[in-house]
Amino acid sequence: MQKSNMGAALLGARTPPAPSEDVDARSLHSPLRRFVEAVFANRGAAIGFVLVAFLVFVAIFAPVLAPYSPDEMGAGDMLGPPSLSHPFGTDEFGRDMFSRVIHGTRLTIQVGVIAVGISLTLGMLIGMISGYAGGWLERIFMRGVDVLFSFTETLIALAAVAVLGPSLTNAMIAVGIAAIPFYARVTYSVTLVECNKPYIEAAYASGAGHLRLLFRHLLPNVIPPLIVVATLGVSTAVLAAAALSFLGLGAQPPSPEWGAVLSAGRDYFNTAPWIMLYPGLAIMITVLAFNLLGDGIREALDPRQRKE
Amino acid sequence: MTKYLVTRIFAAIVTVWVTTIAVSMLIHVVPGDPVQIMYAQSQGTTPEQLENIRRSLGLDQPIVTQYFMYMKKLMHGDLGHTIRGEQPVMDLLLLHLPYTLLLAGTALVIAIAIGMPLGFIAAYKRGSWLDTSLMTAAILGVSMPSFWLGLILLFTFAVRLEWLPVAGSGIQNLVLPAITLGVANAAIIARLTRSSMIDIFDQDFIRTARAKGLPRATVLYRHALRAGLVPIVTMIGMQFTYMMGGAIVVENVFGWNGVGRMAIQAIFQRDYPLIQGFILMFAIIVVIVSVLMDLLYVRLDPRIRYR
Repeated sequence: MQKSNMGAALLGARTPPAPSEDVDARSLHSPLRRFVEAVFANRGAAIGFVLVAFLVFVAIFAPVLAPYSPDEMGAGDMLGPPSLSHPFGTDEFGRDMFSRVIHGTRLTIQVGVIAVGISLTLGMLIGMISGYAGGWLERIFMRGVDVLFSFTETLIALAAVAVLGPSLTNAMIAVGIAAIPFYARVTYSVTLVECNKPYIEAAYASGAGHLRLLFRHLLPNVIPPLIVVATLGVSTAVLAAAALSFLGLGAQPPSPEWGAVLSAGRDYFNTAPWIMLYPGLAIMITVLAFNLLGDGIREALDPRQRKE
Repeated sequence: MTKYLVTRIFAAIVTVWVTTIAVSMLIHVVPGDPVQIMYAQSQGTTPEQLENIRRSLGLDQPIVTQYFMYMKKLMHGDLGHTIRGEQPVMDLLLLHLPYTLLLAGTALVIAIAIGMPLGFIAAYKRGSWLDTSLMTAAILGVSMPSFWLGLILLFTFAVRLEWLPVAGSGIQNLVLPAITLGVANAAIIARLTRSSMIDIFDQDFIRTARAKGLPRATVLYRHALRAGLVPIVTMIGMQFTYMMGGAIVVENVFGWNGVGRMAIQAIFQRDYPLIQGFILMFAIIVVIVSVLMDLLYVRLDPRIRYR
């Protein structure tokens, strides 16, 4: 909140001065610290952060946390209901669902990070170069992005899987490719704004080359809005990849990937509903965590959206 | 305004044209020999037969020639034949498309009917417990995988309670998939409506309208809603295309006989002509919807109309 009011004051904007409670000692802290405080002041974001941290922890320590191997058949009875030894029950091969869900966390976090990594890297490059270079490069890139954008992500992902063939790796790539236009557009619009700011001109005047301007000066200023997009992007990617796996186009059995587990478990939903209950909940919690965190960061960056 | 529309329609035509290029090239970016992959499942095809197939698909021609052949056929409404069953792709698409449109359309109506009023109320009561609980429900709705919700509804209402049939493509079978698809999108629409309306409520003309003593209802419905509707309508246009995408997943949960289910089967069977046809059709629908939304936008927003 402080940041924008200060900015507005510098620009001589019409906004009334901030209420006195805003101009407290906190505004003297570094921008990063103010940002982190603003994120944690938002209850949803705090919950999201804790959930994401928990999921990452489970993903990293999955082999230690899981009582059984995810593929160990006959770890319990077949289609056994939740019990003390198998908190999430067992599936049709007697595999421990709790262990499978834990190992699925690892795959899901991996999917989210890799897919977003693909779309963020390529989208950012395309967006920054088009916004910075202008001219025919801009026209070709952004027209291409417009065309891809109008295809919708689902269609691009399906087409990519159709070409690459079904597997979890291909699903990650497909989901990553599908989101590139979105990241490119966001980066492009941010770049256009940033390029007109005096610091770019100053850097250019002091003799910075194109690459230096792009990566040393422009990049750090393009990244903050993209953090929001990327955080929310993880939830979209996780949902999309789980959907692909559910359709049989992503992870294949016996993978403990949640979408694939759900797809296999649907045959037993009358006799053993827990097989589809827990992986579904796990997907929902993961998506929710990243949504809450992303929304929170956005509100922290954009005070206009913040609740009173 | 005319210029704006001409630009938009031109862009739409370019998009469709680029799609035809992308779609006709699809088969060439497949790693390995597409013909061999396509026919891998049918045993006992001799190399001569594969060569014949390759020739009949025009794959022995130069790429540019292939594109012109593809376009020539396309202009006559011919999208080729499926690999399995040799059915015309166009017929199959036209057979299944109405189901998908019906599903997506019904879901859209459900989503708007639930999402818009709730988003409006949340914005109006901003910061209250009602706003908080509505937005909590909305973020849960956004985060819920549609196929999971679909399975739960199917399990509860069709299998356990036996209120509705489990599978099929009658009107009774539409209920659950439409709700599944509608609920998740209602959450999105509620969130969009809320943020759009909050922007409006903060603006000067609303304050002016209140200050000059207009009744609250007039301010809300005549001033705020009208202005807020413009961005919402464009977003709903995009929503419909998301729904078409979402329908692909939901159709597969419920065995609904739409193009989405057909497309997934086509991907499994590596039936490239059918996949190509599906992608092209989908892209054309998306383009048509976005042009229609632009027209509506122009119609609704006088600021654009008189530019």
